[in-house]
Amino acid sequence: MNISNNNVFQQILEVRIAQLLLNEEYKAGKFKIPIHLAFGHESISVAVSRIMRNDDKLILSHRNVAYNLARIRKLKPVLDEYLLRPEGSNEGKIGSMNLINPELGIIYSSSILGNNFGVAVGIAMAERISLSSNVTIVLAGDGAIEEGSFHESLLMLKSLELSSLVIIENNEWSMSTRINERRHSIDLEKFSDSINVKYCRLSGNDPIDYIQKLNELRAESIEKNTPILIEVDVTTLGEWILKNEENPDGKKINYHAGPTPSVSLDDENVIINNTTSDPVHVISKMNDVDIQSLTKPILDRFRDEIK
Amino acid sequence: MKYVDFINERIRSTVKKTNNLVLFGQNISAGSCLGGLTKNVKVKTNSRIINSTNSENSLCGFGFGMMMNHVSSIFFMKQLDFLLLGIDHLVNTYNIIRSVKKDLQSSFTIMPIIIDNGFQGPQSSFNNFGDVCSIARVQGYTISTKFEAEKIISEKLCAPGFRIIGVSQRLFRDDIIDIEPLLSNDDFSLIQYMQGENATIVCFNFSLNMGLELSEECKKEKISASVFNVTSVTPISWNEILTDVKKTKNLIIIDDSKSANSACDNLSSYIAQEIPTNTIIVKKQINENWLNTSSDQMELDYLNIIKQINK
Repeated sequence: MNISNNNVFQQILEVRIAQLLLNEEYKAGKFKIPIHLAFGHESISVAVSRIMRNDDKLILSHRNVAYNLARIRKLKPVLDEYLLRPEGSNEGKIGSMNLINPELGIIYSSSILGNNFGVAVGIAMAERISLSSNVTIVLAGDGAIEEGSFHESLLMLKSLELSSLVIIENNEWSMSTRINERRHSIDLEKFSDSINVKYCRLSGNDPIDYIQKLNELRAESIEKNTPILIEVDVTTLGEWILKNEENPDGKKINYHAGPTPSVSLDDENVIINNTTSDPVHVISKMNDVDIQSLTKPILDRFRDEIK
Repeated sequence: MKYVDFINERIRSTVKKTNNLVLFGQNISAGSCLGGLTKNVKVKTNSRIINSTNSENSLCGFGFGMMMNHVSSIFFMKQLDFLLLGIDHLVNTYNIIRSVKKDLQSSFTIMPIIIDNGFQGPQSSFNNFGDVCSIARVQGYTISTKFEAEKIISEKLCAPGFRIIGVSQRLFRDDIIDIEPLLSNDDFSLIQYMQGENATIVCFNFSLNMGLELSEECKKEKISASVFNVTSVTPISWNEILTDVKKTKNLIIIDDSKSANSACDNLSSYIAQEIPTNTIIVKKQINENWLNTSSDQMELDYLNIIKQINK
């Protein structure tokens, strides 16, 4: 394991552990605001943060916590914001779904599905007017690609030749419905090909692989003045069982928002799911990473921050 | 000078002096250039004119995105109806900007044409400019006169912040009303054009020409009328109108918008609370044919209104 990779693994654990601590606060009823946790999104969020250069812009959705944590690498400003305290990263004024950090490139986060695509086009256009050679990165989930603004904005990014990475986190769920329960499938590769936009799919949660590929795509986007569409397979961990008349035996429902009782903080083991759907499990299998030795100092640091 | 030509001249004069400005909208520098509204508009070399895609929702976000990233822009829109597709951004995106980016010096203006000249059919019949402004307390201005065009375009079009400036297609080929104001508040949302002793006429949306015509008809009956134009629906102090009504005891409100809830209701209720007044409200009548293609013009029965004025 080299030092650089070790830093990446450490950052993934930071995002995981910070969320575990937030979830414990959530379960204790400390928050008045809705929060969309992102257990399982650690690899892509850390990879995006790692490839960002100084003036790159990051435009997020309501499920922005992993990206904010990956950028800021602290828990307290986020926790304080969620508690609506003046010390919060946005002075306790906007809570969770619109959390931003302009100093670290997070210009805008939207609580409205698909709203951030159009804003991202404008932000990318402003970069062009300002003659900067940066990339604008916009994130959304697979639910947002059902909005017309996704189509409109990708077409605008292509037509205006704006350097941008459009990243779709596909967890196959929109609230309580799977894709196949609510709509026909959308082949994003064919869709992007129809307007001559490059498409790339990331899966497996290997952060080193993600960083390498995203770095290449970032460079290509800037060199060719073009958007690139990236679909990332994620599993949002923290599922629950719905039991009702239609589902007397129980139906697995993906985590959407709120505290997740099925996830609890364990000082010895922060893996949630021993599968490739869990980024922490993935890194634990890579190059003999000792998760436990990395976990304790992070937990101690965060606990010290928020005590 | 024609209404649209004068407004076009003011737009050209204002944008050619502005740096880092993006003008965008469908066909704004092609074909008729929105009926002449954006004809021959030129920008500085560091600015751009974009004949955009037909993507009103994303185009609204586009303007706000540039604004957030310190670039100013103007979205010229062929019809006010199209702005319905961008309401999400007027409410949610703009609220976020107002909440966390208060010190922005960049500007975003949406300039829609209100299609109020009739014969459009069931669609395109949305003419109440105030509706889109009130939905999220957006600053908005209608332009009816030369004075309003000069002041609102030169001082608001590229000013820091966000606003909507509406123009009336019904007035495009009319000579622009050229009358010096007697009084204007600081942001040109309430302007007085005439001073009288017997009646107070207050015009909303794009009804000023009717209010001025009514005042002329009043003169024939030896009634002198004050005439005010309300160009905005954002909260306005009605004190100037109240002072005038205390003198005239007659308030005549004219509003050509079609909405069930109009900004003029706010004025009438305020005046009613303050002073007993003979109030005559003249609104656009909605009849059973309102969804059919028709001339869609508001008609005023001037003689009937004059009969209702207490002398």
